[in-house]
Amino acid sequence: MPSVTSLAWYAFHPTQLRSIIQWKVWHNPVHERDERKDSETLKRCFHFLNQTSRSFAAVILELHPELLVPVTLFYIILRGLDTVEDDMTIPLEEKEPLLRNFQDVLEQDGWTFNDSGPNEKDRQLLVEFDCVIAEFKKIKPAYKTIIKDITKRMGSGMADYAANAEHNINGVNTVKDYELYCHYVAGLVGEGCTRLFVEAGLANAHLLRKPELMESMGQFLQQVNIIRDVREDLDDKRRFWPKEIWSKHVDKFEDLFEEENKDKALACSSEMILTALNRADDCLYYLAGLKEQSVFNFCAIPQSMAIATLDICFQNHDIFKKNVKITKGDACQLMIESSQNLQLVCDVFKRYVRKIHSKNNPHDPNFLKISIVCGKIEQFIETIFPSQKPPVDVKNPASAEEAARLKAQALEARWDNIYMVLAVVLTIVVITGLMLIVAYFAGARFDIAWVQFKQQLGELLFSTAPANASINATADHSEL
Amino acid sequence: MAPTKVLVTGGTGFLGSEIVKALVETSMFCITAIDINPPSLGTSTFSDVRYIRANILQPEELQKVLNEARPDVVIHTVGVYPLGAARYSMKGKEAVFEINVEGTKNIIEASKECGARALCYTSSVTVVLDELESEFRNVDERWGTGRATTSYGQSKAISEHLVLSANRPDFATCSMRSAPIFGPHDPATIPTIHGCIAKGETPFILGSNTNLQDYVYVSNVADAHVLAVRNLLGPATAAGEAFFITNGEPITARDLCIAVWKEFGHVPPFQVGIPEGLAWWLGLGAEWWSWVSGTKGTFSRGVILDATKTRYVSIEKARRVLGYQPRVGLPEALRISCQHFKQQWKDQAKR
Repeated sequence: MPSVTSLAWYAFHPTQLRSIIQWKVWHNPVHERDERKDSETLKRCFHFLNQTSRSFAAVILELHPELLVPVTLFYIILRGLDTVEDDMTIPLEEKEPLLRNFQDVLEQDGWTFNDSGPNEKDRQLLVEFDCVIAEFKKIKPAYKTIIKDITKRMGSGMADYAANAEHNINGVNTVKDYELYCHYVAGLVGEGCTRLFVEAGLANAHLLRKPELMESMGQFLQQVNIIRDVREDLDDKRRFWPKEIWSKHVDKFEDLFEEENKDKALACSSEMILTALNRADDCLYYLAGLKEQSVFNFCAIPQSMAIATLDICFQNHDIFKKNVKITKGDACQLMIESSQNLQLVCDVFKRYVRKIHSKNNPHDPNFLKISIVCGKIEQFIETIFPSQKPPVDVKNPASAEEAARLKAQALEARWDNIYMVLAVVLTIVVITGLMLIVAYFAGARFDIAWVQFKQQLGELLFSTAPANASINATADHSEL
Repeated sequence: MAPTKVLVTGGTGFLGSEIVKALVETSMFCITAIDINPPSLGTSTFSDVRYIRANILQPEELQKVLNEARPDVVIHTVGVYPLGAARYSMKGKEAVFEINVEGTKNIIEASKECGARALCYTSSVTVVLDELESEFRNVDERWGTGRATTSYGQSKAISEHLVLSANRPDFATCSMRSAPIFGPHDPATIPTIHGCIAKGETPFILGSNTNLQDYVYVSNVADAHVLAVRNLLGPATAAGEAFFITNGEPITARDLCIAVWKEFGHVPPFQVGIPEGLAWWLGLGAEWWSWVSGTKGTFSRGVILDATKTRYVSIEKARRVLGYQPRVGLPEALRISCQHFKQQWKDQAKR
């Protein structure tokens, strides 16, 4: 039941409520799932999916039946790997080999792991990992190969970080390290998903030949999460913002969170947001390569959420105090717009990029660069969905001869007009003259006509007195 | 094989001297620079470049210079544009047309006569974009010229057409439609924007500030010319073609201004938005005032339209055909340019 305060809030934000109602009422999953036929172990897998990530579960559960199970398994396997990596209670000598060989675990029937720390929220997943392995055995070999390959590479990447003592103390150093970290935890997911889509025939194989696009898909989401979660990560004693960036603004990472360093902290967050925004156009390009609606929704919804999240994080000092979130109404609106076609997603990006641009602060050291990246995204959208067509009546050529000809033409036209007026005037004069002569010969009395004309004119101009005179005059002449 | 001989008209000017520099850096060319002015103080000249004084409006004199230099390629950069309110109207048309159109005619004739194999012409995005009332979003070279409503845009469109229609298998021509150019020694863009600081105009935002526009750094335009010359003498895929040349980084005019002001250590103390509609009337009022008072104002409806309309182009064709890539990005370019002006004004103040 919604609280009184939230009801009051919605009373003043009716569009938010409208979006939520619209989404709840009108959204139909592209593919409906029939749960009754699922095996017990698969039901368990879906249970874990729902538990680990509500936002991702929503999009995964609507996926094309061909990919539903493989992607679900892919997701929870990586979540299992992540749980091992995060767990600081597992000693390194045990953790490192486990991370490096996690792909082999997938082939070991009945493998489970009970040594996770008591505070790991997904520890139950590892305790019942045999369910995952049982389902993994049933999917197509091609999908298994892809999932194992990604698991292996992600596991060894995580192991490298776990074994790197410096990283554990100081966090991420350079921007390159930062992007490499994001590559292991997210870029590889982008690659795995893309390979699954292409294998299932639901995405253009061309996407595999442009690896930077799928990399950007993962990087964009991960970087946005890292920006948004900066406070939460600090409280968990983790630090993903690279030193190369924050050291330009403050001496100690913790200084970012001090109230007196507000401007420096905002400048630092702008630089992080700028780094993420550089990936946005790649993401839109990637989405253009997807063929199937449910796959499109699966990819597009998180991207739209990410750009909206960047917007609320931009120039917002609250990110250093608490976890900021987009409103539920905005989230529903984004889901409505991101589950239809690329053009609407581009509109979403354009809208949020403009919002970001409007908040760009002239004092920010990266003011110009942010302005440029915003322009770049807008120009990119314009290249895929041009809003203007070349004019049909191409007014070419504009040559010197053409100009001279036009000028001569204009001159000619002017004289034409003069001749025309002269001819009309002349005709009227001649005809009037002829009529007058004919009338004269026929005995017309122009002298009388003239006097009458003057009288009538006088009548028109002066109302009373001259009117009498005119009567007299008329009487005089009538005798003739 | 003797090095290819290149002649640059306007070779001591803002863009021309940068093109000469870019040509020298390739060490592939034997260069002649002609100009109505001798190299000005402070600009760099090169010892192995021949500088000749010539007026492109004197056909006989020009022909003599070209016959003597016998260039393989001519790069024609000479052009004038009216400053202030006249930039956006048809005022002063004759003077602009004389240099931009007649001058170009003379260059085409003289180049053909002296046996040059190629001609590269410095045009302007205004051939398309100077239809001031319209908006242009990411337009490309398919858009026709000849709709320009300003004397500058029209003169450039006409002369560009003269150049492109002179294209023959033995006389390859192309046209570089450059966006507004800035850089060190830049006579207009940066000094004008800088001037707003003293006049206290920096807090006012004209229009919505969402309208993207293009600019280009002078050395990038020079690069494009060198690429075009090499293309015309080589595969000649650029022959008879026009190309938009910009920095490929469209931003709003407001943001460019802020970036320039920041380089001079100024950030607007506050910001006030003036809606497009109101700005138009202010522009009209300013025009009337300058008409009544007989003074020459800088503010006009043309300026307002220029500042509030979306006007940016695609440089895909230049990338594809010429292999053009803007080497100096806007942040770097603005830093270099403003640094130069700061130094120059400091030196002037000392004297």
